[in-house]
Amino acid sequence: MTTEVRYSVMSPEAGIQRVKGGFPTGMGGPPPGMGGPAPSSPAFTKRLDTLENKTVYLVDIGFGGGYNFMLQLQKWFTENMPSVTTIVKRKPGRVFAEDNNDLWEEVKEKGHAVVLGVAG
Amino acid sequence: MESVAKSNPRASSLPFIYTQHPVIGLSPEVLDSYIVGNDPETGKPVIDEILDLLTKSVEGRESAPESTITVDAGPPQVLLEPDTEDNLQRLFYERGWTDGLPIILPTEERVKKMLAGTSASPDEVVGESYQMDTQELVKYTVSNIAVIAVMAGARPEYFPLILAIASTKRSALSPSTTAFASMLLVNGPIRNEIGMNSGIGAFSPVNQANSVIGRAWTLMSICWGYAKLKKTMWSSQGSNLTYNNMCVAENEEASVWEPFHVGKGFKADESVVSLFSGWGMINSPGAASNRSLVEELSIEFAVIPPLNSAATIVMDPEVARNLKEDLVFTTQQDYCRYLSENIKMPAGQYWKTDYIDMLVASQAYQGEEPYASWKKLPDDELIAPFHTPENINLIVVGGEVSPLWKATDYRHGVSVSIDRWRA
Repeated sequence: MTTEVRYSVMSPEAGIQRVKGGFPTGMGGPPPGMGGPAPSSPAFTKRLDTLENKTVYLVDIGFGGGYNFMLQLQKWFTENMPSVTTIVKRKPGRVFAEDNNDLWEEVKEKGHAVVLGVAG
Repeated sequence: MESVAKSNPRASSLPFIYTQHPVIGLSPEVLDSYIVGNDPETGKPVIDEILDLLTKSVEGRESAPESTITVDAGPPQVLLEPDTEDNLQRLFYERGWTDGLPIILPTEERVKKMLAGTSASPDEVVGESYQMDTQELVKYTVSNIAVIAVMAGARPEYFPLILAIASTKRSALSPSTTAFASMLLVNGPIRNEIGMNSGIGAFSPVNQANSVIGRAWTLMSICWGYAKLKKTMWSSQGSNLTYNNMCVAENEEASVWEPFHVGKGFKADESVVSLFSGWGMINSPGAASNRSLVEELSIEFAVIPPLNSAATIVMDPEVARNLKEDLVFTTQQDYCRYLSENIKMPAGQYWKTDYIDMLVASQAYQGEEPYASWKKLPDDELIAPFHTPENINLIVVGGEVSPLWKATDYRHGVSVSIDRWRA
């Protein structure tokens, strides 16, 4: 007759503290752009009634392939909605790390809408 | 995909539209078809969705509530239900606590023996790790790392080194869609005390300390939550280098240069572990027999251009000796300066590299040198992409059997002392 050996083992998760809502410093922290709080008011600008004769910014965030995609989106507007002015821009600054207020101010001042993308 | 895109509280309120994938490297005709084609998430034409979002009210897209700090002490259950070895091995695998290989079961007795390998208190917090999918900060203790060390197969004398790795708060695994790899380098007296291999076959699966310590880094990263497919792990192909993270010791005894950690400001008699990460590595298939080592490296680095001038060259002691005694590079720094000035590649080749365009071009557009000047050059003009010799790392590893090397784009992350964790 054999006796089955049973082991009593420790969990690798036992006692680990999980803190939600706090962000660590240094490399243990979230990646750039993920650390900030959610916007207090997610209000969007009132939608446009029409895109006719409006200016739409097509902003490439800098991820590979994004700029060429925006060029083709610009081509679509030129061919299908010629009254729409489109401006293709690449977001200045590092792709993952930097926001850019100058560009957003330009969009607010000169544009009526913005399409931001595209990754991958 | 939607849940991932919105996992960031700052993005959770934004309206997203998805195209077919991938977008990168495709012809204009294919991109045109993506624009008029359907969003794979909704089945509706992408261009219709764009027009709708710009002209119709955005509904049902409220922002996630602002985060507040809450603390979950974790499962109080320190001990799992007693079970057979087979069942427990299966349980650990199914819970996502392993690398797929069998682990050593962390019995209380084994964990207690492991804890004897350090003078640190079992309850001392070693560090914390951020989990992107749950947005939780996970704090782990010496005791938690002891469990991991047992699972990896470590001996108690390896434990200070494993704690030092954990104290860096860095994961061996990356959430990138690319195939990041990591490397661990050990310097100082502990290499020989615990029997690490820095000579023949140092990177091969023949040495317990090298194998187990590197594995422990991966296991702790897994248990911190970095290996959840489609949540925190997105690498399209992955990297089997992350099974043990190229864990190796420097062959300080055979090297003609100062040890790596001394160059980073540590004392020679300190034991130090250094962490590196990167994508590309070329195992040189032959020696520099008909061309100089600079010519060989220029050819090899042409396919892995550096980010911020970073590279790590792991060379056999014979190579280092040749460089010092025959070519009179007295120090690593002398040779790094020479490499910086003499490794060349055409500007067009550099800028057309995907990750260079994505991660470096923005610095050129902002006027940062030398990138701004390089951006203005004709495609065939040669540049010296290793503009900062201090970012080139030279490491001496090998058994003096053949004058070979590994050329990598690995960046040095951090070096930390191991001695603070000794028993």
